[in-house]
Formats: sequence, C-alpha cells, structure tokens
Amino acid sequence: MSKFVGPDGQTAKNEEELAKHISLVKVTLQGTPEVEADQQTVFALVSAILAEGLLPLLVDHIHRLPFEARKDTQTIISNVFRFRSPGSTSSEPDALREVIRKQPEIIIALCKGYERRESASPCGGILKEALKWDAVAAVILYDEPLPDGKTVDIYNDVDTSAPASGRGVFWSFFGWIDKSSFEVSADAFDTFRLLLTKHKPLVAQYIGTNFDLFFERYNDVLIRSESYVTKRQSIKLLGEVLLDRQFYEVMTRYVDSGDNLKLIMWQLKDDRRMVQYEGFHVFKIFAANPNKSYEVQKFLIMNKQRLLKFLPNFLADRTDDDQFNDEKAWLVKAIGNLPDSTAALTPPSQQSSAGMGAQQAQAQVRS
Amino acid sequence: MSADNYHMLEELGSGSFGVVYRALDKRTGQAVAVKHIDLEGSDDDIREIQQEISLLSTCHSAYVTNYLDSFVRGVKLWIVMEYLGGGSCLDLIKPGPMEEKYIAIIMRELLQGLDYLHSTGKIHRDIKAANILLSEDGRVKIADFGVAAQLTNIKSQRLTFVGTPFWMAPEVIQEAGYDFHADIWSLGITAMEMAMGEPPRSDVHPMKVLFLIPKEKPPRLEGSQYSKELKDFVALCLNKDPDRRPSAKALLKHSFIRRAGKTEQLQELVQKAKAFENGSVRERDVRYYEETLRDVTLEDADDDWVFSTIRPSASIRQPSYARSTIKRPKLDRIPSEDETDRGAALAMQGMSLKSAPLGDFSTPGDCTPTKEPSTIRTPKVRSNDARKISSATSRKISVSSPTARRTSVRQASGATPTARRVSGQPKQPLGLDMSFGNGASTVRMFKRVSSDDNHDNSKPSSASQFQIGSPQDSVFDADAENRPPPQQQHRLPPAPVVAATKESILGRRTYAKCIEPALQEAQATTADRTNREALSRVAEAWSRLDELDPEGELLLLKGMLERISADPKLAAALLPQPDLRAHQSPTKKASMISTSTTSTLVNPDSAEILSTSSPSKLSSSSAPRRNSELLPSSPPKPQQQHLTPTKQPSQISHTRDPSSPGKLVLNPQNPHLKKLRCSQQFAPQPEQLSPERERGLPGGKQEPGMEHVGFVAEALYGRWAEGLRGRWGVMG
Repeated sequence: MSKFVGPDGQTAKNEEELAKHISLVKVTLQGTPEVEADQQTVFALVSAILAEGLLPLLVDHIHRLPFEARKDTQTIISNVFRFRSPGSTSSEPDALREVIRKQPEIIIALCKGYERRESASPCGGILKEALKWDAVAAVILYDEPLPDGKTVDIYNDVDTSAPASGRGVFWSFFGWIDKSSFEVSADAFDTFRLLLTKHKPLVAQYIGTNFDLFFERYNDVLIRSESYVTKRQSIKLLGEVLLDRQFYEVMTRYVDSGDNLKLIMWQLKDDRRMVQYEGFHVFKIFAANPNKSYEVQKFLIMNKQRLLKFLPNFLADRTDDDQFNDEKAWLVKAIGNLPDSTAALTPPSQQSSAGMGAQQAQAQVRS
Repeated sequence: MSADNYHMLEELGSGSFGVVYRALDKRTGQAVAVKHIDLEGSDDDIREIQQEISLLSTCHSAYVTNYLDSFVRGVKLWIVMEYLGGGSCLDLIKPGPMEEKYIAIIMRELLQGLDYLHSTGKIHRDIKAANILLSEDGRVKIADFGVAAQLTNIKSQRLTFVGTPFWMAPEVIQEAGYDFHADIWSLGITAMEMAMGEPPRSDVHPMKVLFLIPKEKPPRLEGSQYSKELKDFVALCLNKDPDRRPSAKALLKHSFIRRAGKTEQLQELVQKAKAFENGSVRERDVRYYEETLRDVTLEDADDDWVFSTIRPSASIRQPSYARSTIKRPKLDRIPSEDETDRGAALAMQGMSLKSAPLGDFSTPGDCTPTKEPSTIRTPKVRSNDARKISSATSRKISVSSPTARRTSVRQASGATPTARRVSGQPKQPLGLDMSFGNGASTVRMFKRVSSDDNHDNSKPSSASQFQIGSPQDSVFDADAENRPPPQQQHRLPPAPVVAATKESILGRRTYAKCIEPALQEAQATTADRTNREALSRVAEAWSRLDELDPEGELLLLKGMLERISADPKLAAALLPQPDLRAHQSPTKKASMISTSTTSTLVNPDSAEILSTSSPSKLSSSSAPRRNSELLPSSPPKPQQQHLTPTKQPSQISHTRDPSSPGKLVLNPQNPHLKKLRCSQQFAPQPEQLSPERERGLPGGKQEPGMEHVGFVAEALYGRWAEGLRGRWGVMG
C-alpha cells in the first residue's frame, strides 16, 4: 500500500517521486474536499505506517523534503496521531498512544524540528495538535538523556520528585525561542506556551520540582532576551502563569524572591512600552501579595519614594485602559502605605506568624 | 542583520497594521515589498501576526503573493513579500468597469489560486478586488491573508465571522459553519464588482448588508451588456446553498473561464489604470522610507531603582526634569514649500508621533462602520480599531519618553477625566489622600489639580485647550503653588527672557503645555497646504511671543478664556460642562455620584473608584474584571452608601458608554482581561468562604498598617483561594 522509498540519497527525480507518494498517502488519509476518505483504507494505511516504522523516518527527514511534501508529511503524521480505531475508549487516540508507549523518541524528534527552519513549522504544527494530550506534554517535560540513548518511558521511568538535569528536550525550548529566526522562534514559543498552559497540574508539579532551574532559565534566557518579541511574550506568559490558580504554589515562591522583583522592576524601566506594560502585570502581583517576604518588602520600601514618583506617570497614555488605570491607582496607594523605612521590618525569622497562608503554601511545596 | 539585505525605497501604501515599502534585495537586485508592523503599536498578541506569517509561509503558488522572509528589527516586524507593481484589481476598476475578457482572465487565475489554497486546507475569507494584486506583466495573485484560516482537518468547518460585508457569504454571516465554498461566493461578488465597478448593494450600509445577504435572493448580474456566460458564472458562484456551489476546480471548466485569454492582455489594463491615476488624481507624491529614530531614554541615574544600599527617603532629590528639556522637534520641522503635500503630511505625522495625541479624536470615526469596505474580523473587528488607537497613542509615547515623564495625562473621551487626573498627579499623592473625605475641599483640590493637568495634558485641539479656564477659575494661582519653579525652568527651552515672575512662569508653562502641542496637533491634522502655512505662521508668532513676553502671553490667554466663558454659547461649546457642575456645587458631590461618573471618580480613594466603576464595566463591556470581586468584600465607603448596587450599573453605564467608545473597543482586546474573563467564571465569591477558612487563606490576614492591601489582594487571591480549598484539606 505504501510504496515508500527511504528518503535517503534522493536524486531530483527521486525527490519528485517521493513527493508524489507522500501526497498520495495524504489524500488517502484525509480525502479531498470532494471525496471522503475510506475508513478501511485509512485503517490499513495507518497500521502499515506504524508497522513499517515510517514515522521516525518521516520526522527525521522532513527538512530534506520539498516544500509541499513537508506540509503533506505534517498532514500525514497529524492524521496518524489522530487516528482512532472504531470503538476505542482510551484517552489518547490509538496510534498516538502506541507512539508514546513504544516510540516516544518520535515526540522528541518532533521538538528537535525547531533546530531547522525547514522543519520547524511542520513539526511545530504536529506538536501543537498532539499537545492536546497530557501524555505528550509529559514526554517532553520528563525527557532526559539516558546513557543507553533511549527515551524516557513516562509510564515507568518517571519520578516526579526528582529534579531535572536541564538537558532534556524541554530545556532546549529556551534556546530555540531566544536564538532562532522570528518564524521559528515564534513557533517554538507558541508550543512552549501551550506546553506550560495546557496541562497545568502536570506543569505545576514539574515547575515545583524544578523551580530554581526553571526560573533561572526563564529569567536569564527569556526575560533578559535581546529579542523584543521573546522578551515581551515571555513576560506576558509569566504574568498569565502566575495569576493562574493552578500555579498558586509556583506564584508564592516566585513572589517571595527579591531577585525576581528586581528583574521585574527593571522591566518597568525598559524603554519599550509594551515591555513595561507586561512587566506591570507581574509587578502588581508582588505588591498585592499580603505576605511579602522580608526581601521583597525591603526592596519595595527602599524604592518607595521612587515608585511613588515613577508610577503615576507610568504609561500615562493608556487612558482608555480603565483596568490598568485602576490597578495602577491601587498600586500607588498600596506602595504609599508601605512604611517609609525598612527599620521597622520584621527580620525573616520572626515573620512566620504574619503570613500563614503563603507560608503554608510554601511549606507544602518545599516539603 | 537581515534588514541590511534590503535597500528601502518608496512607500507603497499602508494597510491595516503596517506600512508597505518597495525595496531592493541587495543580494539579488530583485524588487520586493516590505511590510513594517510596529509591534509596540499594539496590545495584540504577536501570535496573531505570527499566524498570518505562518499561513503565508506555507503558501507556495504562482497564484498567491509569495512570502519571502520575516524578521524583527527593534520593535518592528519586517515582512518581505514579492513585489507586484501592477496594483490591485480595485485600482484597475477605478477608471470604470472592466471588460469581460479581462474579467475572465482574472477569474481564471483566481480560481487557480483558490484551488491551491483550498487543496492545502486554507480558506482566504476575504476575496475581493482590493485583495487581488497584479504584477506589471499581468500575473494575478491573491494577497492579504490577514483573516485567512488554516484548517487542520480538511473536513472541518469554521464559525468565525470574518470578511468584508459586501463580499461575505450568507453562511459566514449566519455563523452556522462554513468551508471553502465561502470563498467561491466572494469570488462571484468580486466578478460582479469588476463588471459593475462596485459590489452589489454597495449603496447600502455595510451593517445592513449583513442582514440582507442571508435574507434576500442572491444578487445577479443583469443587463444586456453582459454575456450569458458571465451571468451564468456569477449565478453559479452566488448560490445561497454552499453545498451546491461548485468548487474552484469545477469552475475552472466553466465556459466563461475556458474562453479566457492570456494574462499578458492584462498589461493593457494595468497601463490604463496607471495612466488614469496619473492623469486624474493629483500627482501621487512619493514618500520614502525613513529610519525611525528612537529616543534613547537614558534614565537618570538617580531614577534607577535602589536595591543595595538603603538611603533615607529624604535624600531622594526632587524629580529632575533634565530629560524634558530636550526640545521636541517642532516648528523647524514644518515642511518647506519644496516638499510635496504628502511628504509634508508624513513629516507632520512624524511630528505628531512625538507630541500630539492624535489617537483619541480619530477613535470614534474608526469605530463607526463606514461605507469604506474595511475588512471585518471577529474578534478582530475590534482589534483593528484598537490597533489604530493604540498605535497612535503608544507610538507617540515610545518616541517621547521625556515628555511622558511630565504629567502627560490626557482625557481620552471625557468619560473619566478626573480619575485619570488623580492618577496622573505626580507630585502629591499624599496631598490627595489628605483631602479625601472632605467633600468641599476635595473637589476644589481636584479642580485645581485637574485644570493644572489640563495644561499638562496638552490636549491639542483648541476646544480642549480652553478647558483650562472655567469662569470662576483660579487655575493659575493654584498652579504656581503646585509646581516648584525649577521644574519649569528645566522644561523650558533656552529663551532670552528668564521667567521670573509667577505670571511669566505660567505663561511659559501655558505655551509649553498647551499652545505649542495644540499647534503641532493642528498642523498634523491639517491636510491643506495653505491652511498649514497659515498655522505655522501663527505657531511661529506665538513662539516669538513666548520668548519675549511670557507674561503677556498669559494675559492674552486669560483674556481669551474670560471672553469665552462670558459668552454662553462659546462657553457651552468650549468649556467642560460636567467639570463646571462639579466645581460649582461641591457639596452636592454625593448626589451627583449616581448620575455622573466623572464626579464619582474624582474621589482619590482607589478602592472607591474601583467599586463604583466596576459595575459599569460589567454592564457596558460585559467583561467582568477582578475589580468587581471587590464589591462584596470591600466595605462600602460612608459617602457611597446611598448607592445601591442594583442602581449603579444602569446609571453609570448610561453616563459612561456614549462618551467612551474606546473602552468597549479596547478592553476586550486586553489580553490580561481576556484571561481574567475566563477565569472569572470560576471565581469564588469571597463571602462564600466560611470565616474559619478565610482566616486560613492568604489575604485573610492583614498586618497592621497593611489593611489597604486587603482590597485588591483579596480580589487577586480570591481565585487562588478556590484552588486551595479544592486541593488542600489543610486549609479547611
């Protein structure tokens, strides 16, 4: 049924031939606007693709295919991942579950599609659709380079309390986002965002375990990025993540850190308005925290007068943004009500009685 | 840097979110079109733009404008496309309706393009003459994928209400799910557009057209001047049942299409359109690409945050306005005669970017549907407008940080000017607090502040410029007390006369804050050259007056204001009425709260602002915010107690809605708000929590002196609280 020639060593003619075959497979799998695909043929074809191990071949060589064939390949893989045999009751589609159980390296290889401009968009497209399933997210998050070159089996090998080495594929996203061309970077960021926000309990647990590493990379690579787009989008995503209930523990730990506060306060002084604006939405979380850490209180108080001078004029042109202005007015008031000097601050050790809620939260996370 | 590969040439036009230039690829010598999108100019998610690019980059067809590259330079996104010098089909029909032989060629090429798009799972959704481009040698290409959709599954349908009304298919308008066939309908309308010069029902308001298209019989091409084949082709496309509309592939076999000639014939048409443009329209002036210079905002070292050493707060110096002494480029940039009209207009725009807030006044116009067939996107129908607004305003700011450091608060729409003045008052946050609760003095206090800020606002139209003086005003005295002199001296350009007296300082201030910006704005918005020249003479004269005699300047302005306020008609037209009422009857403040948001918002207490304004947000923008959560949790302020919550929403929304069109438009686009709106559904009502639980929750406990935090903190943490309750038995 699938007359596949391995995409190695192609001549121009072979390439054309291959593209034709790929296009044929695509049409068989998804039909055309006019003609419905035949379910039995689809079943047979998907089985054949899986049995003959075509998926890894397709993913590994997608960047070498001609333009339309790359898109066709994307369609083929997405269709395979979507395939459910009739009467199937598993959470993931059958073929995808097969892949996650037996060949999770395909998922990793799809991520590595971001290493090349040619493969970024098709691989990203497949990934974004597949990230509907938390198992796919787990494969990416818990990927670790294993000594035997195999890929982590998420169903057997994962210890959620073990910290990540930072060398798994998830950690490569930071570099892809920061260093790639606009197209690739934006696509990688989109996948990264989806990864962080689609399956929150999973991700919250993961960040909880790898808190320091995660924010070290997030702050250094993304928020401090030279790229305007990366910087702006990552501050925004940070704000979204922190304000999400499901990331409550992450948020409490994040807003406890004076270093995080410093970094965000510098963003308020960035010379680009949208960076300032996104920074504001993170900064307000520090200020709204009723149980500020000693360090955070200290920094806010040390800069109280400066903030009171700075904030009223901060993005003063956003006159149409009532929510922003309300929040800003509140922030001015909140900071105005801080003590004038750090002298009265309770040192960290005696602070425990002040903030039961957050303290407990942290205790939970840290235990 | 990739940008260096391109040699930028003249401007080709500006679209919904960017300016397009012609450029040369230095590596190949090939002409390309480069679209510049100012990413700072929009709150929108960069994602939307990225989606358009990713859609474009997966198109590779001779019938679709070819995407070449994209990259970010600074805050601008550059999109490089193939250059098509023949203009759009809309340009081709400007001289008059198109002959059938040309229509047939264009339709055939379009069908090829649509067949390609549809076979790769894309729906264009905005096919119309304006979006069809031609090369100079007559090749036809589909352009503008701003609202196109990529289907992940070829069988899936779309629901989004998107397109341009006259060209929209009935099933798109009815939002009942549609597919590729929607493009075929638009194609039929486009065929009629080219045959008649305008789309059918072009005399009807676009919003009404949206009702007519699904309701009435589909339009038909009528009249003996059209061939049977064309009429039949149009009728096939314009079948109200999408399933009975032929596919692009099938239409390629239609007799009207099969008899079409070669694309080279279209060259005649391109030439004709060019001749027409050159002949009838006034000389098209060329605008060349100019690298935008950004102010490098080097913050004063003194303004930097302090994290290492603790300085006593007293040591923090008075705000230094050194940066503000940078004189904004202004009169000297007024174009001289040798510049063309449009060049001048551009220069003026450039100027206005630095100083004049154009955005607000243009807003209402942007929002009202005009006959101009602009593309609708949902939810982008708003984002389009929002983009315009925000680009005008925030671009202004991005280049004028020094000015932004002044109290450059502007009245957006008159809806809540006072509230903004409060937040815009930079010097006396504490002063405001002291006055709180003292009804009469609060208002007067604010009256001063606000009129003061009106100077700062530099609202550039003459109307608002004169808002500074209401009849019983003592604006100028108050002003001198509020602002320490050094600040003004810094802010002033070096001038022969040193402003020493109170009056002269105020004169200077009036000029710097009101007159000069107002003149600049007027300049920027005046298109006619003669008028602009006259304006620039006034500007020059006034600047001279300011240099020589700031006191006289002040007296002149005062005199003008007095006369305006003495004339009831002028006063009504030029002076702010709500403010007047508030000033005249400060003691009635409480009773006015329910009728005028403006006066309510005068109150400096932010919690009160929040609680009074949030109901209106609920009702007017149907976008509940976090603030609304404050209602149940924050104790009502005494002077507000007469306000029953049920009464508020309708009244306030009545007073606010008409005056603030920007709100509805902008806020739903606020990404943070969107997110809030979603999460709001799950937001717990704080009072639902039992007291014991509340005690255990963050936000429930307050340190002495930190009670103020509770209001918003509770709101912020309310949602988290719910999550906690769910997962932590500990908390219960």
